[in-house]
Amino acid sequence: MSKTILAVDDSGSLRQILAFSLKAAGYGVIEAVDGHDGLDKAKQQQVDMVLTDQNMPGMDGLSLIRALRKMKNYQKVPILMLTTESGDDMKAQGRAAGANGWLVKPFDPARLTEVVKKLIG
Amino acid sequence: MNVQILRLLSGMSVHGDQHLAEVEKDLAQMNVLLDEAIKKLYASFMAIHQAVELQQQALISLQHDSTPLPEVAHFEALRGEISQHVGAALTGLQFQDMTRQLISRMAQHLAGLRDMCGALDADESALAAGGDEALQAMLNHLTERVDARFSGLACGLRSTVNQRHMESGDIELF
Repeated sequence: MSKTILAVDDSGSLRQILAFSLKAAGYGVIEAVDGHDGLDKAKQQQVDMVLTDQNMPGMDGLSLIRALRKMKNYQKVPILMLTTESGDDMKAQGRAAGANGWLVKPFDPARLTEVVKKLIG
Repeated sequence: MNVQILRLLSGMSVHGDQHLAEVEKDLAQMNVLLDEAIKKLYASFMAIHQAVELQQQALISLQHDSTPLPEVAHFEALRGEISQHVGAALTGLQFQDMTRQLISRMAQHLAGLRDMCGALDADESALAAGGDEALQAMLNHLTERVDARFSGLACGLRSTVNQRHMESGDIELF
């Protein structure tokens, strides 16, 4: 059975590109439009990995990670930030919140799937 | 003189608001066009990619039956090349995500400027009875309103985008 990844981004085009890239590599993809939506979907279905943007209306990526890490079944699930932000301060906040890695946009689909494979096989 | 200063400020407020409203409208329209364009580009790109993939598969299966191996290897190499171009195109197509973020930030700044222009609009009648002191008080009041609007804007501002090229960004695993 294929592993499922939750892709959280308020940009529809970015979600399309993410979904295409990950599905082509054999993963199932659930899309969410912001942190709140991501949290709801993560509660509805256990996923194997979360990829989230930082700057989103409503709930941002860091808040989503903090909320997920409070849930028992998401304490060890790999979470990657995928964002335009590249500052060390933001990365440190991501790390402190419980992110497992930081990917700066734009992303290369092949490099992204390499990282995903490394984390969830 | 005092009334002239207030008229100048009010004029700046009204004209500034009009110009900024036009810029805001154009930015929103630009966002709509970019969004529409990226949807069409993405859909066409995916359709082409799918068609090329099917064509390649068909050609390879034909070659396996009748033609020497080097031709098959050539198609396989082409497939790899196409896959690299697809990856590069998908990276490039992410421009809209960044321009959208920048447009949203510009819109926030414009809204802040319009708000500030609105704060400059002073009531002339308040000066009717007073002289320089009344003007001074009014200017202080206006300054406070402008400062308050500026602080409000700084709080809710989205981050800017610093990327200067459309190549893959850094990856760091913690």
